[in-house]
Amino acid sequence: MPTEQYAYELSLRETLPLLGIELVDVAGFSCCGEPMKSVNQLMTVYLSARNIAIAEQQQLDIYAPCAMCHLALSECKNLLESNPAMKERVNGMLAAEGLTYTGSHAVVHTVDLLYDHVGIETIRQHVKKPLNGLKIAAHYGCHILRPSELGRPDDSENPQKIEGIIKTLGAEPVQYPRKLDCCGAPLLANLPDSALTKTGQKLQAIQEQGIQAMVDVCPWCHKMFDSRQTKAGEIVAAKLDVPVLYLTQLLGIALGIPKEKLGLDLNLSPIDKLNLGEGT
Amino acid sequence: MSIIDLTSMGEPQSDLKKEINDRLTKLQDEISEYCFQCAKCTSGCEAHKLLELEPHKIVALLKRGLINELVNADVIWTCMSCQKCRERCPQRVAPVEVLYALKNMAVISGKQIPGKYTGMLQSILSVGLIQDVQETTTRSNKTVKRDDLGLPALSKPTDVAKFQAGLMKIAMEKV
Amino acid sequence: MRRIGVFVCHCGINIAQNVDVEALTEYASHLDDVVVAKHYKYMCSDVGATLIKDAIKEFKLDAMVIASCSPRMHEHTFRRVASDGGVNPYQVECANIREQCSWAHSDKGQATEKAKALVRSAVAKARFLEPLTPSMVKVVPEALVIGGGIAGIQSALDLANDGFKVHLVERDPSIGGHMSQLDKTFPTLDCSSCILTPKMMEVANHENIELLSYSEVVGIEGSVGNFTVKIRKKPRYVDIDKCTGCGDCASACRLKDRITSEFDQGMGKRGAAYMPFPQAVPLKYVIDDKKCLFLTKGKCGDEPLCKKACIQGAVNFDQKEEILERNVGAIIVATGYDLLDPTEVYEYGYDVSPDVITTLEMERLISSSGPTKGEILRPSTQQKPKSVTFILCVGSRDETECTWCCRIGCMTALKQVYLLKEKLGEDAEINVCYNDLRSFGKGYEEFYRKVRGLHTNMFRGSPSEVRPMKDALRIDIFDTTTSKLFEIKTDMIVLVPAMIPRADTTEVSRLLHLTLSGDGFFLEAHPKLRPVDTFVNGIFIAGCCQGPKDIQDTVSQASGAASRAATILSQEELEIDPIIAVVDEDICSGCGICVSVCPYNAIERIEEDVNGKKVIHAKINEGLCQGCGTCVSACPSSAIQQRGFKDTQLLPMIDEIT
Repeated sequence: MPTEQYAYELSLRETLPLLGIELVDVAGFSCCGEPMKSVNQLMTVYLSARNIAIAEQQQLDIYAPCAMCHLALSECKNLLESNPAMKERVNGMLAAEGLTYTGSHAVVHTVDLLYDHVGIETIRQHVKKPLNGLKIAAHYGCHILRPSELGRPDDSENPQKIEGIIKTLGAEPVQYPRKLDCCGAPLLANLPDSALTKTGQKLQAIQEQGIQAMVDVCPWCHKMFDSRQTKAGEIVAAKLDVPVLYLTQLLGIALGIPKEKLGLDLNLSPIDKLNLGEGT
Repeated sequence: MSIIDLTSMGEPQSDLKKEINDRLTKLQDEISEYCFQCAKCTSGCEAHKLLELEPHKIVALLKRGLINELVNADVIWTCMSCQKCRERCPQRVAPVEVLYALKNMAVISGKQIPGKYTGMLQSILSVGLIQDVQETTTRSNKTVKRDDLGLPALSKPTDVAKFQAGLMKIAMEKV
Repeated sequence: MRRIGVFVCHCGINIAQNVDVEALTEYASHLDDVVVAKHYKYMCSDVGATLIKDAIKEFKLDAMVIASCSPRMHEHTFRRVASDGGVNPYQVECANIREQCSWAHSDKGQATEKAKALVRSAVAKARFLEPLTPSMVKVVPEALVIGGGIAGIQSALDLANDGFKVHLVERDPSIGGHMSQLDKTFPTLDCSSCILTPKMMEVANHENIELLSYSEVVGIEGSVGNFTVKIRKKPRYVDIDKCTGCGDCASACRLKDRITSEFDQGMGKRGAAYMPFPQAVPLKYVIDDKKCLFLTKGKCGDEPLCKKACIQGAVNFDQKEEILERNVGAIIVATGYDLLDPTEVYEYGYDVSPDVITTLEMERLISSSGPTKGEILRPSTQQKPKSVTFILCVGSRDETECTWCCRIGCMTALKQVYLLKEKLGEDAEINVCYNDLRSFGKGYEEFYRKVRGLHTNMFRGSPSEVRPMKDALRIDIFDTTTSKLFEIKTDMIVLVPAMIPRADTTEVSRLLHLTLSGDGFFLEAHPKLRPVDTFVNGIFIAGCCQGPKDIQDTVSQASGAASRAATILSQEELEIDPIIAVVDEDICSGCGICVSVCPYNAIERIEEDVNGKKVIHAKINEGLCQGCGTCVSACPSSAIQQRGFKDTQLLPMIDEIT
């Protein structure tokens, strides 16, 4: 994941192996192509197909922690499965690098990996430090929920998997009206103020409801809500003070992993308020 | 025989419309002709509230064949690709995909790519990633490197030349 | 001494909200001759009925006042309850304290006082109510169906298959109506003739159906169970027993191809001797007496060519009209519809350019048996059009023309778009200018979606005018979906006109004493619960003559009307409502004013021998009297009274209120 969101990477690398997932680093991946969709859609298809083909070569399913990557890869898979002509065309181009897309393996994201593959029960068995009823809002983002016809990690209108995990960790998930609102990240490329307005508006609403923290599952969303929270506050003229964590960081704390290993000092939002991982 | 948009004194560009519809059919097996203007997309559009994007109107203009106007408009770049329009459309039209098609067409026709896209594109072409980030900042404002945190090296295309060759070929293809 | 029971209904909160029903009941209980007064939430229910019947028994009631909703709603209900309880059903008086009191006022105090007055007044009448016994009339198990379109055909077949004899009267030389003019029907695109012709043949061959084509109803007398109908059979000037349908007369006719064909909606021509259309039933020729040279001028060249050409000798200019009389127990009116002449909406250029046509005219062009054999040709150039534009709602939903929706316009336009795309090819430009697209029926939405998928140019809006140019028609239309004004240059314009009642609707309504609704179509007895009944007992309506609808709804209604008619026809005898006029022969002077005002010709002025003296007085035919009361008000000596509404009953009511 070519982002500065190292906390996500750190926390998932610490937690998932404990739950029985073997993470394999594969060389040669490129950008999934999703940010380039506006410039050249075919390039996006090609780049995603290329990544899937590389993983297939090693007989591996692809785990895409980033929701945007997951959407790009899923859309690519869906297109090549349903359009044989396109599949042939793409494979023709991949041949130059000695790659072939076959569609033999799956693409997963953090949410379905934890909820469907690992399972709530397994997670519950590993919880060492339950989170004391902390009131948490789940932010799913857009790309792991829609478009539902592709098959996404959770339901597009009433997703509940992250809440299920939060409960298992001993915290209290809170529903809120703006749950399905977008974080604004895609507009960072050309209209950053508008992007941050969206971010600020959502944080404001969460703050007003008295929710103690927010978790997200995508580096873009987290970048907006956590890393750019101060800027967002300036844009919407509000004092924003919402602790924002990756789901995997929350998971790590509940599993009893020391907070230094979860990259908690990389969160720019005021997570100190929560006194997480104290008394380790 | 002839239909003229008196606002712009332009005739519909049916060849461009066909091109877009062909692309939409190839990439998602659905065409925008079925739209009956219920405007549910615009009602829920994440970008509409801030930026005046009206997905139903974009589709209406596409149906009318007024492609040049759309391709040259700034508003098509305001889409947040939240996919809500496509999710909730009762006729399985995907305004978000129509917008991608229009943006792609704008790029090909030489219109300036807004903002950071150019930079990201160049980065992909040279390294294979939209950015090659090796460090980040902590809450206490310290800079810390990827290596320092014990994270493995970023996965990148190993044979860059071959990767670039493949990419250049794709860049020339029509959908 | 009368023993009256007063029953006050709450009608849920409909009455109770604005009328103090308890106070009203208490008040009523103290009125003279009232021995019991009760109130209940829903007097028309089973519980209410039991309450009334128990009170009748307990208090030995002989008359009742029901203070509730309009008698139009439940008078018959309470009459039945009275009858069940042993009281003559006509000794029940309804005081309308809902529509005429609680629903009209908001001040509870005032409304309650008014209700008291209404009840007081009803009690005053109840004191003088007389027991009445309905008389019985024998039912003639035959039906008259007026109109031979798909509605009339369906009704006739249903009744004929029930075993009743049916007289089907059709004004035109052939049955089939507008449906026979259609090429295909939506949404299945069934060929119209293919589904209609078998039914037409069935009608022609059915042993229970007397098909009277080229005939019209000219008089109706009597009432439910026993109507006497006069039918004028117009002369075809062709002997239908001899005519083989060969067509030699039409080919020979001196006026061949010179007369505008009505069947082809003016897009084609015929002669004076003609067959209405190739699948006509009966398949017999007819000579147009308004155009035929021999019939109008008395001379057709040396001799009429048709007569000369007919080897069967079927042409007979000596034919005369016949007046037939038939007796029937029930009548179904299925006279169909017309389309608004778009000249009314002048701005759309119908009168100005031959290339502006209606949907029905386009239907004739599309039809393979039409004037162009199914080729779509621009009327002005007789060439294939490259662009056709439909304008919907021409004269419909228009406060200045027809305020109602024609219901079939949207689907008809979509159907024709589909057929034109097929005939003219994918490249043909077809534009549709619409307000709302109503594709409400089963399978209609799917059809609409299909047409959208054909790359039809849909413009949401109405053009202001059509401007004919040298070689095209131009319209400017604002499309609200894009908020843009478009200029369309097109080869042909198809207008979707409003659906209007036929011109002869007024004549038919007068003959049958039928009411028309505000839009001019026949009025149904209740829009929800009695959609095919009329206010005249024994006469039913079906199809578009009741209001705009498509073929499937027409057929449903036609079967519905047939079923309603069968309810009457399947009985040997019917009860006649006894609320009719009665003459006091002692007072009647025989002036005859009542005879002249009676709309049902139910009164005769007769001479009788009474004790050696010649007495002239009015006599009411109870079978014909409809109880309208016109004679009662016209009688200068109050010799005629209406049972159930006699002066002795009405005047005390008035006294109580004033």
